[in-house]
Amino acid sequence: MTALNAPSRLLDRTRRPPLEPLPRVTLPPVQKRELSNGLPIRLVEQHSNPQVVISIVLQSGGAVDPRGKSGTAALTAELLDAGTGSRDALGISESVEFIGASLSFRAGADATFGSLLTLNRHLGEGIALFADILANPIFPLREFERLKAHRLTSLVEQKDRAATVASNAFMRVIYGEEHPYGMDPSGTEESVSGLTRDDVCGFYAEHYGPSNATLIVVGDTTMADIISLLERQLGHWKGAPRRAAITIPPPQAAPRRVYLIDRPGAPQSEIRIGSPALARNSPDYFPATVMNRVLGGQFSSRINMNLREKRGLTYGARSAFIFLKQPGPFMVAGGFTGSGTGEAAEQLLLEIGAMHREGVTDQELEFSRMGLSGGFALSFETPFQVAGALQNIVLYGLPDDYYERYIQSLASVTSGDVMRVARATLDPDAMAILVVADAAGTKGGLESLGRGEVIMLDTGGAPR
Amino acid sequence: MPGLKPVTYEQYALANGLSVILHRDSASPVAAVMVMYHAGSRNETPGRTGLAHLFEHLMFKGSEHVADGDHFRLLQEIGAMVNGSTSEDRTNYYEVVPSNCLELALWLESDRMGFLPGAVDQAKLDNQRDVVKNERRQNYDNVPYGTSYETIAREVYGPGHPYSWPVIGSMEDLSAASLEDVKGFFRTYYAPNNACIVLAGDFPRNQAMDWIGKYFDPLPRGITLTKSALSPAVLAEDKHLVSEENVALPRLFLAWPGPSRGTRDDALLDILTTILSSGKNSRLYRPLVFEKKIAQSVNAYTEGKEIAGMVTIDATAKPGTGLGEIEKCVHEVIERLFADGVTDREIEAAYNGKEAQLAGRLTTALGIAGGLATSFTLTGDAENFNREITRFQGITPEEVLAAGRRIFSSRHMTLNVVPRGRSSLASPAAAWELTYAGLPAPPAPAGTP
Repeated sequence: MTALNAPSRLLDRTRRPPLEPLPRVTLPPVQKRELSNGLPIRLVEQHSNPQVVISIVLQSGGAVDPRGKSGTAALTAELLDAGTGSRDALGISESVEFIGASLSFRAGADATFGSLLTLNRHLGEGIALFADILANPIFPLREFERLKAHRLTSLVEQKDRAATVASNAFMRVIYGEEHPYGMDPSGTEESVSGLTRDDVCGFYAEHYGPSNATLIVVGDTTMADIISLLERQLGHWKGAPRRAAITIPPPQAAPRRVYLIDRPGAPQSEIRIGSPALARNSPDYFPATVMNRVLGGQFSSRINMNLREKRGLTYGARSAFIFLKQPGPFMVAGGFTGSGTGEAAEQLLLEIGAMHREGVTDQELEFSRMGLSGGFALSFETPFQVAGALQNIVLYGLPDDYYERYIQSLASVTSGDVMRVARATLDPDAMAILVVADAAGTKGGLESLGRGEVIMLDTGGAPR
Repeated sequence: MPGLKPVTYEQYALANGLSVILHRDSASPVAAVMVMYHAGSRNETPGRTGLAHLFEHLMFKGSEHVADGDHFRLLQEIGAMVNGSTSEDRTNYYEVVPSNCLELALWLESDRMGFLPGAVDQAKLDNQRDVVKNERRQNYDNVPYGTSYETIAREVYGPGHPYSWPVIGSMEDLSAASLEDVKGFFRTYYAPNNACIVLAGDFPRNQAMDWIGKYFDPLPRGITLTKSALSPAVLAEDKHLVSEENVALPRLFLAWPGPSRGTRDDALLDILTTILSSGKNSRLYRPLVFEKKIAQSVNAYTEGKEIAGMVTIDATAKPGTGLGEIEKCVHEVIERLFADGVTDREIEAAYNGKEAQLAGRLTTALGIAGGLATSFTLTGDAENFNREITRFQGITPEEVLAAGRRIFSSRHMTLNVVPRGRSSLASPAAAWELTYAGLPAPPAPAGTP
């Protein structure tokens, strides 16, 4: 079969096709229930594929690790599938593998997330496993020792990765090691070395329970299919007593200094610039997001166009607001040609400064709002994407109609809003610069930024 | 046993040879457009490695009717997801757009398929060459073990083999690429008859076919390229390499020449390597990582490409463990595998994992577009995407074991990556003398290369 149309000799290729109005995104309804023990259930049906995601959001993560015991929440999450009253670690793993499911428990700064992805024909077995792991872990000492050693080795390995070293040290520099966001949730060699099985059991007893969690189910199933299963498997779960919301102190301003971690012979320099900025539930979320898309949030952003497409200094440079329960960081990041390290840092500061002083043009504002609206249509294809949206609502206390109003919220952002947020969050003089690079080749260029003597740090981000 | 629903699609060709594949699904208001060219790094010549990938970068820098910067700008204005990638065998370009922005994507793809060379100049080439050099630093040179694959491919495929050089290319070759090299590559490989376009998602069928005709039909057919013959790698003898690098932990790589894509042995070894290293109970993970705790991680994988393939096992040692001890343990595992065989349950678990993996790819329009485009380009038949799961059905333990014997009793290469100054942690050069080599490797069944 050949094409239906004869080739048009009159086709004017310089004319781009007209822009059509964006499709209306119809969000599937969220069904709400509660188990007899009070555990909230949220279900979104998605029948286009035979998959189901079961996900738990626990309102406690690395940020509530006991002082000096950074890594506790992460290790607790990882140890959940290491044994229950009726299954040992190998048995659990075998059962999960056999049904082709993927199981994961991990702690971020603000929360612990667990998920099981399975084909719907294995859903009964999947729910039984997931519930058992969540409600009945016994944290066998041998498994604790094994995973602790594994984590310690991972922390050693992590030091080989310049990008990870840079991002972790950056958080430590701008929040300080006293602040919960200053420490990576996976902990440090020192803190993890000191952890005991009692720390893990203690964290579980204090934080894991139906009053501190929400269970989210998305995929090819119905409430009728799952509710009795969930009630039978999790309805008895008592867990931790209800607790007051944990307050994390607001961050201090970032020091206006340049920090350097030496990586002798490194062919590239990882640069991070930024400061603590905005919380996820901030009213400035939408203006900040619109602004960031112009500054460094997409390929055709100012930062990427300048540093990559104009100067060829990088494979890609970007900026982001990382929105957390408390103000999370604004951060510019990228890997840059070693010989161009000073130039790259200088240009990044200039781009941040220009946005801070002048905001966005009307054209940029429209471009950004439209792009974010169009991207919204792409955000609900997979069960994980839908579950992620529900997690945001649950974790950050966003209104239930947050996503219904999303397009409208974007449309209402004005250039004045962007200007106000740029003034408040993007002052380059209130930002720290963290670089992982070959010190011998880059220190001179960094000192010429006029931020005083470069401060040398070790790979963990502590002063040398 | 209920399986996954096959992907439905219709397929036709334009007069200029462009293959068109359409899959419609209205589950989400999105459409994925993927153009895949049957050209990759294996079409390069030594001395000009990295050209196919460098070319991919230039495809985003505008064409005769699209200004530099507009390709990304116009697509990001509508929130599209945009990217491209280059492998040894093919190069693809895609955009996932809100469903009613399809025509924009077709206009952009057709313009760079038909009208690129007039828009490429020395300044663009120089700029993207610098970007690619940074990509190389970012993803290979400044990453632990980042250049290991390059070394392994060089040694296993051997000098002159099209898979022996890295897709990203070498710094020297990138510097040497000229404007004429780039334009010549375009003339040869970037023609409608060497490409397919796949649409997947929510779009009006007849309207889409009209647009495809409007934008792509006028493009001229290119020269006819002959299909490449299979070129399996052969190692005449074992190779043993030690590389001191900026890493904290030693890592051992064992690599064997393997079957090419889509062969029966490729499927069998896919199942076998899953049994070897997927999950805590797997044959390698359990002793090395879980019980003896001498390794931090272990992976086994088979990689069937279009004209050849490779099977690899890698293991990262715990601090203080030498790679000789790791190798000995891997060796014992394989001996025991041959002595005890694999179980039906292991095969069923591996199959279930494959099914779940495929189900994941089928959840997005892009996943489906990529699957259809890849199967069409590399095997000549898009329907092979639907065989991505059926080819794992009806596999017996005996077949899996026989395929394993064919691989693991053949010559292989060993790469020891060790911390600087710690070559004593490498495995001894002659360690892999297999006691099971006495077992004759069964001959390959007819039809298996």
